[in-house]
Amino acid sequence: MALLDLEDVSIRFGGVQALLDVSLQVREGEIVGLIGPNGAGKTTLFNCITGVLGPDSGRMAYDGRELHGVKTHRRARLGIARTFQNLQLFGRMTVLENVMVPIDAFSQRTPVGDALRLPTARFEEHKATERARALLYFLDLLDVADFQAADLPVGMQRRLELARALASNPRLLLLDEPAAGLDARETAALADVLFRIREQFDVTMLLVDHDMALVMRACDHIYVLDFGRVISAGPPEQVRDDPEVVQAYLGEVA
Amino acid sequence: MIGEARTVRWTAVGVGVALGVVIPAFLSDFLRSLAADAAIAGLIVLSLVVLTGLVGQISFCQYSFAAIGAFTVGSLVAGHHWDFWLALLVGVCFAASVGVLVAIPALRLSGLFLAILTIGVALFFDRFLLAPGTWDSFSGGTSSWRAGRPSFFGIGLKGEYAFYLFVFGALVLACLLVWNLRTGKTGRVLRAVRESEVAASTVGLNLTAWKLTAFGISAALAGLAGGLAAVRVGSVSAGSYGLLQSLLIAAIATVVGVGAIASAAAGGIFLVFIPEIIHHTPLSTQWFPLITGAALIFQLVYAPEGAVVDAETRIMRRFRRSTPEVPGEDSEVTERVLVRSS
Amino acid sequence: MVLAGVSLLPGFTVIGIVLGGIYALAAIGLVLIYRVSGVLNFAHGAVAMFSTFVAYQVSVKSGAPGWIGLIAAIAVGIGIGFVIERFTMRPLTGKPALTKVVITIGWLLVLQTAAGLIWGANAYHRPVKLVSKAGFRLIGTSVVVGYDQLTTVIVAVVLALGTAAVLRYTTLGASMRAVADDPESARLWGISVNRVTAASWMVGSAMAAIAGVLITPLINFDTFSLTVVVIDAFTAALIGRLTSLPYAVVGAALLGLAQTYPRAFFSTSGVSEAVTFALLLIALAVLFRPGARKLRIA
Repeated sequence: MALLDLEDVSIRFGGVQALLDVSLQVREGEIVGLIGPNGAGKTTLFNCITGVLGPDSGRMAYDGRELHGVKTHRRARLGIARTFQNLQLFGRMTVLENVMVPIDAFSQRTPVGDALRLPTARFEEHKATERARALLYFLDLLDVADFQAADLPVGMQRRLELARALASNPRLLLLDEPAAGLDARETAALADVLFRIREQFDVTMLLVDHDMALVMRACDHIYVLDFGRVISAGPPEQVRDDPEVVQAYLGEVA
Repeated sequence: MIGEARTVRWTAVGVGVALGVVIPAFLSDFLRSLAADAAIAGLIVLSLVVLTGLVGQISFCQYSFAAIGAFTVGSLVAGHHWDFWLALLVGVCFAASVGVLVAIPALRLSGLFLAILTIGVALFFDRFLLAPGTWDSFSGGTSSWRAGRPSFFGIGLKGEYAFYLFVFGALVLACLLVWNLRTGKTGRVLRAVRESEVAASTVGLNLTAWKLTAFGISAALAGLAGGLAAVRVGSVSAGSYGLLQSLLIAAIATVVGVGAIASAAAGGIFLVFIPEIIHHTPLSTQWFPLITGAALIFQLVYAPEGAVVDAETRIMRRFRRSTPEVPGEDSEVTERVLVRSS
Repeated sequence: MVLAGVSLLPGFTVIGIVLGGIYALAAIGLVLIYRVSGVLNFAHGAVAMFSTFVAYQVSVKSGAPGWIGLIAAIAVGIGIGFVIERFTMRPLTGKPALTKVVITIGWLLVLQTAAGLIWGANAYHRPVKLVSKAGFRLIGTSVVVGYDQLTTVIVAVVLALGTAAVLRYTTLGASMRAVADDPESARLWGISVNRVTAASWMVGSAMAAIAGVLITPLINFDTFSLTVVVIDAFTAALIGRLTSLPYAVVGAALLGLAQTYPRAFFSTSGVSEAVTFALLLIALAVLFRPGARKLRIA
């Protein structure tokens, strides 16, 4: 059974049909790619999956349960995490704090416990810090743990977004252009990082990006979106050679 | 936090508390009562440190929450002879609830419109809720009941010095609690909400619940201040909890800066002792709002984060190691990630 | 009791409309400043109050005719608007609008206290007499409408429509709308954003002055009543979505009537305040319903 199952999802903004009858499936353990020209609706689809936007029609099922009506913060608790194309870091907080926030979100501590520094609160704080540091170590951000997120170079910021997304212990990770702003070497390394994440954290991924090398290399399965519709789907080699896809991209395929 | 800076911080706190305890011992009773007022006002500034400093929400109606605390304590203690501590608890809870109520429409409002809403709330209190004739049994109407001072574990607090120590202790305790909040989960969560609401909700934070909580805590602090004020003076007059006071305290909080908890003390001292100082100059105390307004304008044009925060940053910078450069990105780093993972 | 209330309605309608005229007058300058510079000027009422006191000084205290006082008030209003924009808004371009709004709170405190110090905070002041207080009887009823009340309403409507027309049909108006929409692009088109913004503050404050002089005969003339009218003006402007002047006038009329009618039936003093607050909440809720276009913040 697919971990994420979208069926005929459609949404319209004013005069623009942003998504039309989009169906896709992500099976557990897969890395699925979602590509398409700018404006194709990829980020909109992500927003629908995370609950920021509500589709006009269609079904969205996660782990068998209907997502409709489930609020954004609840979806995180179900195990859906995401990174943002335009980097939504907590800029004026440190790198370590950024990664601790999702852990905080899941902890049971109350403000009262915090204020009085009850033993349970202190213990959980310690555990949360340890876990956050482990994640930073995994993504090689430990050196900059005390720096403000906004001060980091883009490559590190992207890794921080990843670390933060992993901190909420997701089963499904939505990656919105994680390679934007990275150079060729960093992008190549990113593919390996994704594999390692899948292996180490047992996470299923849905990846959106423009870097064809990354997508071709990392993904088991690819969907192509153009003007809000799925125009092609299949394994990377098949999609790459699909004339419709080539046309949509005007020869961008690597 | 670098060790040296931490020592400096806690030493400064220790010194501040010591001074706060010792100096009033040498002052007249009148000045001691002023000091108590300053500590009470400090609690209200602290409420803004929580609301504006942590969550970034503006409020121009803090004195309305304080009024709830004050009138609840006043009417319960003087009118119905309740035990002070119980009345204080009720007052604080009541103020917190009203804070949550006000927060509900505020949830969807951005800074500007939230500001309008809170001014509206303040005026609503001024002209309707606390106006004579609306709710006399609550607001005490024109008759003045006198709320006597409570005793603290057997020690009577009638003396000005004793009462001041009590209020000062409450302020220090509240500051400590807020400090714990800020450095723990609550502080991180609230700051995250302020930094990026969309990211915060995506990582699992219930924005509504947290914003309401922040308003509740802030209103509770203001309510506590009001409750203490009720027994400091012995009676409660609606005129002291109006829009003007809320505007003044917000202005003062902005001048000292809501980023630092030390601002609470600075703000309280500003509100109470600057007028007192003016009193001794040829200018009349009427000049105080003008001076505050001018200070506000100057402060915002030159250092928007506030005087105390500015000072703190400068001092702390001396004690920190020179900030090292952010390690640059290069292929070695990315190699390390690979090596690490394999 | 209800029957007695109903018979008061015609008279209360006039009062409500006049009140609406007052709020509309106060709102026009407010909306103009907000639209062009993105700043909600909390000191708007204080500017009106201060300018009116200058008119008072010139006309009532020094005996000059009323219209000279009006001119003095407008001049002072323009001056204050200029100072606020040039020295405390312009240095902060690019900073969040909230900072600028808090600065206007600072100005509110400064202006209000200054007026109290110069002219006496609680003293009674005779208002500036521009229009006679004599009135005429509305046909068919026993209601008397004062000429000063009528003038207020007419001036409000004329100014609102006039300003809306200027914004829509003149070059200056187009420049203002361009700056309101996108200061960066406006700059690229050669529009002097600084001058246009300064103009909006000066014109807006001039209107505040006019509003103040016309309104004070109808309400209490002291240092804080006008300052506080700004909230009612806000509410009216909010009903106009903070950007539409004609709708602000409508909103003002609605607010005025909504505040007055309950007085025919209830005697509690604060009922009109409760109504204002309720309307404020409703206006904010309607403006911010999910899916509504976000209001622009500079």
